[in-house]
Amino acid sequence: MSTNTNGSQQQNGESRQVLTFVLGDETYGVDILRVQEIRGWSAVTKIPHAPPHVLGVLNLRGSIVPIVDLRMRFALDRAEYTAVTVIIVMSVVTPAGRRDFGVVVDGVSDVVDVNSAEVKPAPELGSRGATDYLLGLASIAERMVVLLDIDRLIGRDLSSIAGNGEDGEALTADAA
Amino acid sequence: MTVDLSQFHDAFFEESFEALDAMEAALLKLDIGAPDPELINTIFRVAHSIKGGSATFGFTEIASFTHSLETLLDELRSGTMPVSEQVSDVLLKSVDVMRAMLRAVQAKQPLDAQRVSDLQFDLEVIIARKNQPAPSAPVTPPAAAAPVAQPWLIRFRPYPELIARGNDPLRMLRELNELGAMHAQIDAQSLPPLADLNPQDCHLAWTIELAGEVAEEAIRQVFDWAEGDCDLDIGRQPEPALEAAVEPPPAPPSPAAEVTSAAQPEPAHEAGAPHEAATAPGSPAARPETTTKAEAAPGAHSDSGSIRVSVDKIDELMNTVGELVITQAMLSQLGGQFDGPQAERLRAGLAQLERNMRELQESVMRVRMLPISFVFSRFPRMVRDLAHRLGKQIDLKLTGEQTELDKTVLEKIGDPLVHLVRNCVDHGIESPEKRLAAGKPAAGTVHLDASHRGGNIAVEVSDDGGGLDKERILAKARARGLVGPNDTLSDAEIYELIFLPGFSTAEKTTDVSGRGVGMDVVRRNVKSLGGKIEVMSEQGRGSRFIITLPLTLAIVDGQSVAVGSETYIVPLISIVESMQLKNGSVSRLSGQGEVFSFRGDYLPIIRLHELFGVEPHTRALHEGLVVVAEGDGRRVGLFVDDLLGQQQVVIKSLETNYGHIDGISGATILGDGSVALILDVPGLLRAASMRMAA
Repeated sequence: MSTNTNGSQQQNGESRQVLTFVLGDETYGVDILRVQEIRGWSAVTKIPHAPPHVLGVLNLRGSIVPIVDLRMRFALDRAEYTAVTVIIVMSVVTPAGRRDFGVVVDGVSDVVDVNSAEVKPAPELGSRGATDYLLGLASIAERMVVLLDIDRLIGRDLSSIAGNGEDGEALTADAA
Repeated sequence: MTVDLSQFHDAFFEESFEALDAMEAALLKLDIGAPDPELINTIFRVAHSIKGGSATFGFTEIASFTHSLETLLDELRSGTMPVSEQVSDVLLKSVDVMRAMLRAVQAKQPLDAQRVSDLQFDLEVIIARKNQPAPSAPVTPPAAAAPVAQPWLIRFRPYPELIARGNDPLRMLRELNELGAMHAQIDAQSLPPLADLNPQDCHLAWTIELAGEVAEEAIRQVFDWAEGDCDLDIGRQPEPALEAAVEPPPAPPSPAAEVTSAAQPEPAHEAGAPHEAATAPGSPAARPETTTKAEAAPGAHSDSGSIRVSVDKIDELMNTVGELVITQAMLSQLGGQFDGPQAERLRAGLAQLERNMRELQESVMRVRMLPISFVFSRFPRMVRDLAHRLGKQIDLKLTGEQTELDKTVLEKIGDPLVHLVRNCVDHGIESPEKRLAAGKPAAGTVHLDASHRGGNIAVEVSDDGGGLDKERILAKARARGLVGPNDTLSDAEIYELIFLPGFSTAEKTTDVSGRGVGMDVVRRNVKSLGGKIEVMSEQGRGSRFIITLPLTLAIVDGQSVAVGSETYIVPLISIVESMQLKNGSVSRLSGQGEVFSFRGDYLPIIRLHELFGVEPHTRALHEGLVVVAEGDGRRVGLFVDDLLGQQQVVIKSLETNYGHIDGISGATILGDGSVALILDVPGLLRAASMRMAA
């Protein structure tokens, strides 16, 4: 874990807390303030005409929350859903307002402090399509953490679903 | 020390607006010549409290105006000045002016001083001239205490197709019941065995004995719409019967002479039907008439012990109760799995919990329910003003005002009703000369009625005017290319045309209606509430618009169906029936997909598993079930694996966190905590036909 720089010491940039989780061999991080809760996997209700990475919806204490499989979203190999599969429920800000959704990940690792000065921009790879949902890369305890901008990653998906129920393909191919 | 009075402003405005509504209602009920002192007191109280409040808060213009008004009202109250047409007009105008003033002050905008001082001047003039005799003579009360007549004997034998033609015999009986003491005997001889029974045919007949003092015309009116669809025989009971059950008290002079019919003796009977309250379930005042005396004197509602609660709080309460219902269902399911001596007690406790939950849920739902009089109350004034402007004589009849429905539905039904009533007044009711020439009374009647029908509420707007002009509608549709020159349309199809956007047959556009916006908007609004609108019309006799709405938007009665591993909810209101298809009863039409025969019609089959991309248990049509559903006037068979059960479900929005899905209106949470999607049958039909076209 990196040193706690909260409040007292002023470094070159702001520090913030990030929840990290594992997906295959990689570690990703999201702003902890966006995380609503972490819960175990349970079966979802399928939604007709949804893009493939939207698995369905779940009942989260009375509200209906869509569940997104991040592996499928990132075009990784599909993993089996088991009792240890985890859903992180987050809130995103979309043009249409705040929305809650859950992402299926392999496992949750840690809450870490990340100083914005330590964050390096993600290299332009080009071939892999849009990477503008990447906030950057941070190196924490010798591990590389990919910081995600979930508003861009998921928010855009959700708002395009609201506009067009059947067009799932456009969601992943928004590189242009 | 000073108190900041501005914190009380909102309450003052809110109360004042409400009080003005009450004052307006009282004014409209006020009888010229023979005013009800209680009504004048109500009006006086309103003026007085607004005067007091505005003086306290330093709204001097309002205080000064209401002072003049109060002076005039005081004269009326003490009886030193008669209530004339002129006075009533000025008072109504005063209501408008006070409303405008309050609104201006509330919005911190300048007052329309000219308008205020003009009217104040009028008030002063009337007060100054008070000693001049009033020209208007008191209205003689209608001949009421008619001699007790022999009871009517009505034989009503509907033809089987009566119901299919849009008539509801039950409603007619109910209407008869409102006319006077009634005794009906049913004749079910021609009822076929259950297997051959088509629920849309009417096989029943009635023999009805009705209190004798009802006018024959009133009885005939009840059956107006069924004429030609039934055998009807109306006559007096031959042998002298027992003393007629109830002798009606002399009719009070109708306090609403302006807007309700004082000419017909009908109101007297309504007042004199004592068993009516007994037959009305629930509230004893289920269907009070406007024509009865204003026992709902608006003053009453200030001391009815009510509190103001913001809608947000109620919604929050609703949500929590919804959660509780789901948790309770979950516990009930779990409780069924226990064994042993304690399990029985656990289950008893759970059953108790379930009952209490249901009551709690119903109570909370009822908090959101308001009587439809909140919407109806605007019509007496509107109709009065419109009739004035158009030079027509119109009696407005309101019934079923105490029928309650959800606040959100209530808010959205107002505008469609205004459209319909305007249409009736403007296009429906003819000018007095025309009416007299057609042998009708000079004054036309516009009738608004609300009633509960199962889980729905039906609001009906009818008039006894000219009815829809089929020829003109058809000619217009042909001229606009909506209908081919050689197409023949049924009456229902012709009436359907008026709901097309931009369709108006009004000869000339008035500032009231006829611009061609309206009916399509009405239909759209009604549909967005999950309701439907139907038209019936008869040339020369009038037209009837019936809006059917769900009581609430938060809960729906649903049938759960299974498709593969998924559960869907089909709203019961959309379901015609469910059936198993026999092997081979399905035909394939090229370009149409599969169809099956249902009561002489061929209906398309929508395979839900295909439409929703779900792996079903069976693809063979005769192994699953077909749910015949109706949406947008079309019927379709939905192919599912199995039916699971019927339940009330709390509708949750999918759009809060996700988005709209064609064919799905929302989601709900089942007893086991899982989510089920609620089907939207009209949307499903659209989605399916788009697929078919693609």
